[in-house]
Amino acid sequence: MKKTLLLFLMALSVQVGLHAQNRSVQGQVFSSEDGEGLPGVNVFVKGTTIGTVTDIDGKFGISVPSGQNELSFSFIGFVTKTVKLTASDFVELTMDPDTETLGEVIVVGYGAQSKRSVTGAISSVSGEKIVNAPVQSFDQALQGRVAGVNILTPNGVLNNPPVIRVRGVNSLSLSSYPLIVIDGVPTFSDSDGTGGGLSFNSAANNPLGNINPADILSVEVLKDAAAAAIYGSRASNGVILITTKRGEQGSSKVTFDSWVGRTEPVRLFDLLNAEEYMMIKNEARENAGQEKAFFPYLDNNNRPVDTNWYDVVLRNGIAHNQNLGISGGNTKTNYYFSTGYTRQEGIIQRNDFERINGRLNIDHKVFERFTVGATMNYTNAINRAPNTGSLPGQTFNTSGLGRLPLVSAPNVPVFLNDGSYNITPNNQLGPANNTVQSGFTNAAPILDLNRMSSVNNHLMGSVYGDVKLIEGLNFRTTYGIDRLSIEDQTFYSKIHGDGFSNGGQADNLFRSLNRWNLQNTLNYNTGLGELLDINFLVGNEQQYTQDERWGARRTVIADDFFDSYQGNFTTIIPLGNIQTENYLASFFARANFNMAGKYLLSMNARRDGFSAFAAGNKFGNFWGASAGYILSEESFWKNSALSSTLDYFRLRASYGLVGNNGVNNFASLGLYGTGLYGPDPTIIYTQPSNPNLTWETSKKTDFGINFSMLDNRIEGEVTWYNNLVDGLILPVPQAPSKGVPGSPGNMTGSGSIDTNIGSMMNRGIEMAVTYKAIQSRNFSWDINLNFSTLKNEVTALATEDSQILTATSLETVNITKVGHSVGSLYVVETRGVNPENGRRIFVKRGANGEETLVQYDHLGTGWTTLDGQPTSQPTQNADGIIMGPVLPTWFGGIDNTFRYGNFDLGVFVQFSGGNYIYNGTKAGLRDMRFWNNHKDVLDRWTPENPNGSIPRVVYTDNISNGSAFPISENVEKGDFIRVRNLMLGYTLPSNLTQRLKISNARLYGQVQNSFLFTRYSGSDPEISTNGNNPTAAGVDRNSIGQARTFTLGINIGI
Amino acid sequence: MIAIILLFSACNEDLLNPIPRTTFSEAVVFDSPEKADQLLNGLYATLIAGQFYGSRYIIYNDIRAEDFINRTTNGVTGLATWQHTLVSTTNEVQNLWSVAYLLINRANIFMQGVAENADKVGGQEKVIQYQAQARFLRGLAYFSLLQLYARPYADNNGSHPGLPLRVQPELDNANNALARSTVAEVYAQILEDLNFAEQNLNAENGSALKNTTMAHRNTAIALKTRVYLAMRQYGNVISEANKIVSQTAPFIADSGVNHSLQEDIADVFAPPYTGPESIFSAPFTEMALPGTQNGLGSYYNPGPRGNGDYSLNMDNGIFTLEVFEKENDARSEWMFENQSNGLSYLNKFPRGPQHLDYAPIIRYAEVLLNLSEALVQSGGDQSRALELLNAVRTRSNPEGAYSGFASTEAFMEALLLERRLEFIGEGLRSFDLMRTLSTIPGKENVQAIPPSSPNYIWPISGVELLTNSLMTPNN
Repeated sequence: MKKTLLLFLMALSVQVGLHAQNRSVQGQVFSSEDGEGLPGVNVFVKGTTIGTVTDIDGKFGISVPSGQNELSFSFIGFVTKTVKLTASDFVELTMDPDTETLGEVIVVGYGAQSKRSVTGAISSVSGEKIVNAPVQSFDQALQGRVAGVNILTPNGVLNNPPVIRVRGVNSLSLSSYPLIVIDGVPTFSDSDGTGGGLSFNSAANNPLGNINPADILSVEVLKDAAAAAIYGSRASNGVILITTKRGEQGSSKVTFDSWVGRTEPVRLFDLLNAEEYMMIKNEARENAGQEKAFFPYLDNNNRPVDTNWYDVVLRNGIAHNQNLGISGGNTKTNYYFSTGYTRQEGIIQRNDFERINGRLNIDHKVFERFTVGATMNYTNAINRAPNTGSLPGQTFNTSGLGRLPLVSAPNVPVFLNDGSYNITPNNQLGPANNTVQSGFTNAAPILDLNRMSSVNNHLMGSVYGDVKLIEGLNFRTTYGIDRLSIEDQTFYSKIHGDGFSNGGQADNLFRSLNRWNLQNTLNYNTGLGELLDINFLVGNEQQYTQDERWGARRTVIADDFFDSYQGNFTTIIPLGNIQTENYLASFFARANFNMAGKYLLSMNARRDGFSAFAAGNKFGNFWGASAGYILSEESFWKNSALSSTLDYFRLRASYGLVGNNGVNNFASLGLYGTGLYGPDPTIIYTQPSNPNLTWETSKKTDFGINFSMLDNRIEGEVTWYNNLVDGLILPVPQAPSKGVPGSPGNMTGSGSIDTNIGSMMNRGIEMAVTYKAIQSRNFSWDINLNFSTLKNEVTALATEDSQILTATSLETVNITKVGHSVGSLYVVETRGVNPENGRRIFVKRGANGEETLVQYDHLGTGWTTLDGQPTSQPTQNADGIIMGPVLPTWFGGIDNTFRYGNFDLGVFVQFSGGNYIYNGTKAGLRDMRFWNNHKDVLDRWTPENPNGSIPRVVYTDNISNGSAFPISENVEKGDFIRVRNLMLGYTLPSNLTQRLKISNARLYGQVQNSFLFTRYSGSDPEISTNGNNPTAAGVDRNSIGQARTFTLGINIGI
Repeated sequence: MIAIILLFSACNEDLLNPIPRTTFSEAVVFDSPEKADQLLNGLYATLIAGQFYGSRYIIYNDIRAEDFINRTTNGVTGLATWQHTLVSTTNEVQNLWSVAYLLINRANIFMQGVAENADKVGGQEKVIQYQAQARFLRGLAYFSLLQLYARPYADNNGSHPGLPLRVQPELDNANNALARSTVAEVYAQILEDLNFAEQNLNAENGSALKNTTMAHRNTAIALKTRVYLAMRQYGNVISEANKIVSQTAPFIADSGVNHSLQEDIADVFAPPYTGPESIFSAPFTEMALPGTQNGLGSYYNPGPRGNGDYSLNMDNGIFTLEVFEKENDARSEWMFENQSNGLSYLNKFPRGPQHLDYAPIIRYAEVLLNLSEALVQSGGDQSRALELLNAVRTRSNPEGAYSGFASTEAFMEALLLERRLEFIGEGLRSFDLMRTLSTIPGKENVQAIPPSSPNYIWPISGVELLTNSLMTPNN
């Protein structure tokens, strides 16, 4: 790949002068990085204009006039070298990469800056790390790669948005998703959705999946206030800047990347088989004083049916991905054109993702002082999924495919012996020979008959013009658009499942997100020679976003022939109509000073006006400042012994204030919604007015060092960060008896009022180190390590003892309370099983924390103390204990790259821990209704097994194991080490590629999500049933876990 | 220069102050009679939300008792209510509490809003009418809450803790803490509201549909008979009922809307649902349905017309008792033998899968039986009491007339059985048990709940306990 890049950078032409021939010198230039020949190096006879360029193998030939005896070698990204000619006519030399320049210019807000002069906390990931990952969106591929950024995959549904936390959770009620900026224009993300991305059905739709990862040159994450404050009111959650590839001067370059893969489910639960199921459930019936109800069903071969419902729901999927890129340029124009196509099958049946996109980036120098350019990307992406039950809010869906394999009785068949679906007229899974209900719905007809899709048509583009007014002063204007149209289609058959109660249902919903963004900046570079570099930036940005949705639901299908909205139905009602907008107007400025290459100072400020806030509260001011001191540039350092090991050493500090404006577009207004009463229209009070609502502000402090040592073999940075979020917007819960409306437009009541009250802290250390452990001509080993810690604590809420409870659909597990980490787990403590009678022991707590042990006997004596006295049941409110945090307190990744000859091996390990997870799935897996159970239930208490770990089984008992209210039995630690990616590559030798008339080619095989080491008993410690919800993390309820993917791929450059 | 202008003039005031285009701002909702009418409709829509009279309130009051068997063990569709395992955080406990108070607050806001904008909404007289409507609904909401969240009035004359009485609009963060008034105090408020409603509601609303779906004078009177019955103030039941029940058969309300028993009970539960017997019902249309897992038919109809959450209890349910003569009683149509699983289901709200059947809230038959019971209990005109009971009974079972009863107890037993049969699925069973302080009978493997049990009434909403510092739990 390196060579590919170098070819990109090849200078177009060098003047070659003909002089009196004296001496012909041949030679070859190698790169010290990989020992390969280095093409495109400018070779000059020093002091003349005579020169040439090295060829593809790094070879060159040059005529050196008499009297000249020095050759100079220069190449972008490498340290320029001068060689004195000796008697030999053959010169061989090795050039070293210049770490000061190559890859070290990084993108910052509204510009770019040399990495060494950047004093804000910015992490950079190159596109190479993303291009081959078998994912749908680039953000999924950032997992574990960036210090301070914790990314997790909440479930195994394709194109589901990952949960991204830049330095912890920075908001309680607003999105904690970072701002995503693509080539300078902010785009749409999960924060514009309602969980599961932007779709309104089960087809998860992360709009970031509309960006082809192969188009990405680099990803920069702005983490502290100094780096992010230029984004002002949107910077609180950090900012992710995506820079797409652009053409370079030189001959045309073609790249082709392709992979094909197979994805498979892993870590499925060990469920009871049919025989065990019947034994356990009949025993439970007996213990409940009821007759046996579960009996075998014989198939056509007279064998008892033993259904593994996982087999119905899951599969091994095939995925492939193709990208073609063509780029090039001359002195006036450069271009990058690419197109990509990918089709990926998920591990859940009928969960497919398909994307086709094209991009054109172009820059043209019209006049010497005037440059224009454009970026244009069009994507068509189709997400298809059944009801996976894995997206936020779907947890307890009775047709959710995450849940059905766990609850459906294994002793009933998928199809009856006559070949028909095993379903009842009551929309349940057929009980076969069981005498009671044996499942919610049958997964097979749901998969066969229902379908959901979410289709994106996404146009992202911008044009810019850049005028050099005077030397050093540039005016730039950029106009960007982001137009995303989403069509969600749902069809539910009336035969079974979700469409049953409506007699068949088809929903079509169209959403159009329309944004324009206009930026004008003045940039002035000046300085006083070597002493002082100054850069000023002032700018204005306006952004207008329109969000309109309309749709309809047709119900009561005329005939099962139809399977789309356009078919014949008897009724239609409007669905999902929303018409809303917002506008942001901003002024910003930045000043950077670099004094003597040692003292760095940067200041920036932004004033934002945002339409969603009440009059008088619309404008806010944000700022950041940072300073750096490069000690290693001081003469005392250079003269000290330290300098021989520490090549570079810098101190860095920053402080600033940024905001979060992620409120609803009309959040401050008192609103009345509409509806119908019988045939008549209604107006209904739905939202209290909020005249004081304003930004959440984060005060971010950073102290850090950057260093490199052992001839730059080790480079790294260590940062201590402290982020205090103030004025947190809290949905302050109101007494339900006040009758404050719940979410707009519905009839739930028990609402809350958003109020800027509360504060929170995120504090930790992050470290990133790259180490070139071994570097020899044939073998190298590079290590890239990052490690972060996080301590989150809520420091103030509405009142000292306020608590925010956040529900996971029907169950409430998370509590946010002063002195605890956000969204900690709130459970009733349990102390195992009473060996005397097999009842679960719970702990009740008095006003002063004094404990009373109580036990539960379902359908029998109910709640009693251990000596048998009747007592009231324990409750979360009275007896709950808080366990946390749910956010990992330490996490990171180690990326190892080994190269041996033409082989390369990547081992990428991700680790995370210190957090707790509420394994609600376990409660379900031990529930004593008809639900199937985990095999661990076999160790239930019986008189013969008094030390059983599971309470005595009693039919319909949903309390002893945590289905009725959460219990500490189901709280587990979430520590894990995951081999996220293993990749073995082989680069074709140059003699072969030459014969194939290509410049480079690499074949590779990789395993994504290769191994997981954890003591967590659920399917995956990364699961987040509540998606991105900041106050409801750490809950695992019926979601399908991540897949493992094997891929084979090829990267070709021509 | 252009650059400078571009840089610093750029902020569009109009875009910075957008006005929502699909929702109303609070500043404009009271500015016309048309909007006030729609706001009033909004109060009714809140009353018939799926969590409230759209079905669930009615269902809870039936499934607590013994006439239904849970078939789906689904915690979302009333399992804990059915088997008396409710806790303060159970969904139905919190949701019903919330939606009832949502109606109360919306009513309070509406009353204040129309009063403050009298000139815009049609004048002072109109304001009083709007307020009468709102107070009828508020009274009904408080009465409904009392039936589940507080001890019956009969238990020590309402001296037990009742509900927080919210009579002012709540629009901001203030006033979370409010202690419970006693049951008697809440009843006093309910009666004050209903009396105001009776005095100021229209005598009739102009169409059969509006007469059934919006309160008029007789609606308030009918509800008062139920309220006074709960309070065992039989004299008041009689005097209220007499306003709308003629002295002799055929019984009819001779002022206001002329309510009467419909000849064929089946007509009461069939479209258009707006006959003279339906004093007050919750209307549904294809455009305004009770919602998923709501709707009476969703619970009681087997598939494909419903989810079949509850079948009839054929061990000790009402259809197994002597009072029900299957061969002779038109109400046998309410039983549906489901061939596919051999179970019997209630067939009173048969439309499905879309549950368009109106949910009955007050029927004239109830007023007649309320009056009959009050006459029996107060030692009033026993022959009229008998005639009233027989009017309801013989409408469906022409041969089933009672000739008389040996004792008040026997009369009462017959009355309660007739109510249980006549109103099955209409949410009166729990009310009848509790106002008479009777044990809630057991069913299948669920044990009976005596009046002394903490499970006799519902727990208070957990969120209320958490957010209202003066709130007290129920046990």
